[in-house]
Order: sequence, then structure tokens, then C-alpha cells
Amino acid sequence: MSKEEMFKELSDAIVSCKKDAVVASVEKARNEGIPPAEIIEKGLAAGMNEVGILFERGKLFLPHVMMAAGAMEAGVSLLEADMPKEEASKKLGVVVNGTVEGDVHDIGKSIVSTMLQSSGFEVHDIGRDVPLQDFIDKIKETNANMVGMSALMTTTLPGQKEVIEMLREQGLRDQVKVMVGGAPATQAWADKIGADCYAENASEAVARAKELLL
Amino acid sequence: MTTEYALRMGDGKRIFLTKEQIIADLEDGSADAADLGEIQALSGDEIDKLAEILMTPSRMVGVEPGKEVPVTHDIGTIRIDGDQGNSGVGIPSSRLIGSMMHERAFGADTMELGHIDYSFKPVKPVIAQEMQTMEVCQQNMIVPLLYGAMPNMGLYYTPDGPFENPGDLMKSFKIKEAQESMEHAAEHLTRDMVWIMQRLMSSGADGVNFDTIGAAGDGDFFASLHAIESLRKQYPDIYIEAGMAGELLLGLHGEMEYDGTTLAGLWPHQQAPLAAKAGANIFGPVVNTNTSRTSPWNLGRAVTFIKAAVEASPIPCHVNMGMGVGGIPMFETPTIDAVSRASKAMVEIAGVDGI
Repeated sequence: MSKEEMFKELSDAIVSCKKDAVVASVEKARNEGIPPAEIIEKGLAAGMNEVGILFERGKLFLPHVMMAAGAMEAGVSLLEADMPKEEASKKLGVVVNGTVEGDVHDIGKSIVSTMLQSSGFEVHDIGRDVPLQDFIDKIKETNANMVGMSALMTTTLPGQKEVIEMLREQGLRDQVKVMVGGAPATQAWADKIGADCYAENASEAVARAKELLL
Repeated sequence: MTTEYALRMGDGKRIFLTKEQIIADLEDGSADAADLGEIQALSGDEIDKLAEILMTPSRMVGVEPGKEVPVTHDIGTIRIDGDQGNSGVGIPSSRLIGSMMHERAFGADTMELGHIDYSFKPVKPVIAQEMQTMEVCQQNMIVPLLYGAMPNMGLYYTPDGPFENPGDLMKSFKIKEAQESMEHAAEHLTRDMVWIMQRLMSSGADGVNFDTIGAAGDGDFFASLHAIESLRKQYPDIYIEAGMAGELLLGLHGEMEYDGTTLAGLWPHQQAPLAAKAGANIFGPVVNTNTSRTSPWNLGRAVTFIKAAVEASPIPCHVNMGMGVGGIPMFETPTIDAVSRASKAMVEIAGVDGI
């Protein structure tokens, strides 16, 4: 089996959402001598990306996303033994994610948190209707290198701008990447307020986070 | 120099496009809907007609004579005195005055009474006030007056309600527990919606508008369909409008079924027959506006989805048109150029029965 075929098998196993299938494919890839980092990045993570796309197309549902994430976790833990200790415990980044103050919308933000988490980021989901200062406090507490802010209403969108200003005032802006999202947000809005990126959906959020942090 | 037409982005920003760009975006938007919903894309003639509507030089447009449709309003009772935060215009007035203004001054064909929070659950503690207001409104009005509210199943989860938040449970990989929490919440939501409507029907309500069904995913739709079914059995003549929250029914539970159909992942043309089966008189399909795309892209996409829903629906379809839906930009007070063009397109191309 070629490497490409092996990656496809790993990815398909994740999309099947079955832990047994993922574990069996990871064992097979290990026996074929494929480095753990490649198994994760080109096989398992590629599968999770596909799961995200299928969720957005209404072909897979949230329980499937979670089962796939659980299966990926099992696959990665199998590989940890083959990886240097610091690499095994290394996260892609630390992300604080929440919906800004005044806005009680929860679902979209939670799906983004789940997708980031299952893609290897350490995610601190601080909920919805979050006082703006709490974003700053959590960033400091967790030493986060990215903050995600969701707003589903035009009236709460300015909260994203205020957090960026607070980051600047406290000298944190250079060490924290800022991602914004939510139905009224756009790339133009992200540019205007000085955010580092805008993501339209959960799978795009993962892609943008990887671009900025890796 | 090529002629450019003044249009908008999905966030309301003014843009200028050539005829070729408009047609390309219409086709692209229609293809996106066709791909997602596995439905027919618009024909060349329909795309041309849409382009013609968008390129009309007038600031606002209207349907051709004889093609007029009924128009109704959600939350209209508080739109007059509400502020910009809820798309209102800040004129002090009661809900009765708001309703009567819509009936007698704005030409609404039906109206609804709603309260400021606009979800069903918070109606329970103020039910006596809602009953009294419904009775007074009914005594002063001629057009059918419904009671309108959102199922909003999220209010049944922590921190707002008694059941553990399935989002938190899912993140801890407690999938079964999350699904059970949604099932319990759906059961309570159905019970509350029926209880509230029993009381409003006793106060003279002509019916109910379930607004933004599915906002909390498939469980929200499940609960609403069961409430519709129950109300139809109890009140054979009740007028029931089932309006959706979004184009895709998010699969948060994933396994809930109605009449043998899995609810998760349904698009408007698949949602409509279920609303009819449950006993609704009117289905309100929704297509969300993408704020990063142009109005031709959004309108081509919205008309494609809605046309398929109208064709599949055994009951009339009153499409949701407003801020951020139906190809209209997401803007507190959507501009008349965008609203009138999108509305004309929905009537003349998608074939909707009302707005």
C-alpha cells in the first residue's frame, strides 16, 4: 500500500467515526513505518477536516463529529509512545474562545471549539455572553496565543473590536492572534478592527488557526 | 465604458457590478444551493429574469399587477416602539397600537402578538398579561391575529433551564447524555408551547406563528412538530404558521425522527412536507444571507432553495424576508432596494404564496 493510500485509509476511518477502525488503521500505518507526525497530519487530521465539511453540508451530525474526535484522540494516544515526550504533549496552540458580552448565541461557537479541540488545539471555551474583560483574564491565565470571538448580532459585533483594543492597551496584542466570526462578521470587518483573521465556519476556523499558529 | 449597477454585499455595503458579474454571481449562488440541497439549479431564463430585477434602475421595485401576495409581520407589535437593537423605530406605543398600525396603515394581511423576549418559555410567568392583551387586540382588529414566539429550546439548558447543556456534555464526549438532555428539553418545550397556546386560544387568538423553529437544532424542530400536531388535534380550525430559523436543520441530536424521517440535515424542501404532515397551514422557509458574498450570489442561492421548497410543499409557503435572510443583507433596517428586489424575485421566480 502506498503512503497516499494509507493516508486515505486513515482519513476514511475517521470519517466512519469508528474508534476500532481508526485504531486498526493507525496500527497498520505504524507497522508500515510511517512517521507519527505524518499519520496525524496527513491521515487523521485530514479526516477530521472532512468530517467538518460533511457536518456543514448536513451529511454528518454533532454526535458524529464527537465520535470522530474521540476516535482521533484514541489514534493519537497510540502514537504518543513513538513520539518524543515534548512532541507528544505539544498542542498546536492555546485558544480562548467565546461569544462576546450581550450575545447569548452558543451553538456556532461551541462547534468551532469542538473542531479546534479535535484538531489538536488546547481550547478554553469560556461560553457565551462573556464580559469582555474575561477574555483578557483567560488569555493571561492560560497564556493563550489565540483568541476566538463570536458575535451573532450586529449590535454585539463591536465587542470584538473592544477586546482587540483592550489587548493593545494591556500590551498583549503582539502575542495573541485574533480570530473573529459569526453571521454579521466579514473579512472587511476583521480588517477594519485589526483582527488577524475571519472564519466563515468551523472547518475554516481550524484552517485559519493552523495558518496563523503553525 | 461598461455599465455598472449599484448593488450590495451581504452586509449591506454598496458595490457596483457589471451585467456579466451579476449573472456570474447569480449562477454561482444558484449552483451552491443546487449542490448543497441536491436540487435543480435555476434555468438560464430564470437567471436572466433575476438579473433584470437586480438591474432595474428604480430605487425600489414591486411585483407585476395580479401577482400580489399576502404579507404578514412577525414581532410587528413591538417594532414601532422598539429601538434599533430590535429593529424598531422608537415611537412610544402599545402593542395594540403597533398591531393596528400594521393592519390599517401598513397593509399587513395578518399580524401577530408577541412579547419583548419573543420566546415561548418566558410567556409562562406573564401568561395572564398576554391573554388580556390578546383579547383587547382581537376586539379592535379585523385581520387574523396570531400569537407569535420562538420555540428557542436553548432556554431549557443550563444556565437558563433545568437540563444539562448538551454542548458541554458533547465536549466531554458524553454523547448519550447530551442526546437524553435534548430529548427531555424537547418534551418540556412541546408541553409549554401547547399550554401557552391553549390559554391564548381561549382569549380569542386566531392561531400561532412558530418563529425560528430549529434555532437549537433538530430537537427544536422535533418539539415544534409535536406541538403543531397536538394543537391541530385540539383546535381543528387553528391557523398554524411554521417558520424556520435557518436553511439547514443542524443535527445536534442526530437521531430524532418525525414520521420516519431523520430531522437532522434537512433543507427547506425537505422540511416543508413534515410541517404539513404535522398540521401546519403555512410553512415559512428560510435561506440565510452570507455577509461576505454579493446580493446576486445570495439571491440566486435563496431563490433556488425557496423555489424547491415551494414545489415540494403541500401547503402554502410564506418565505422569511428580512435582515439576513431571503437574499437580503444583514442590516438592522434592511435597505428598500434590496428588500423590494429580493421580494419580487421570491414571488415571480420562486413562486412563494406569501411573505
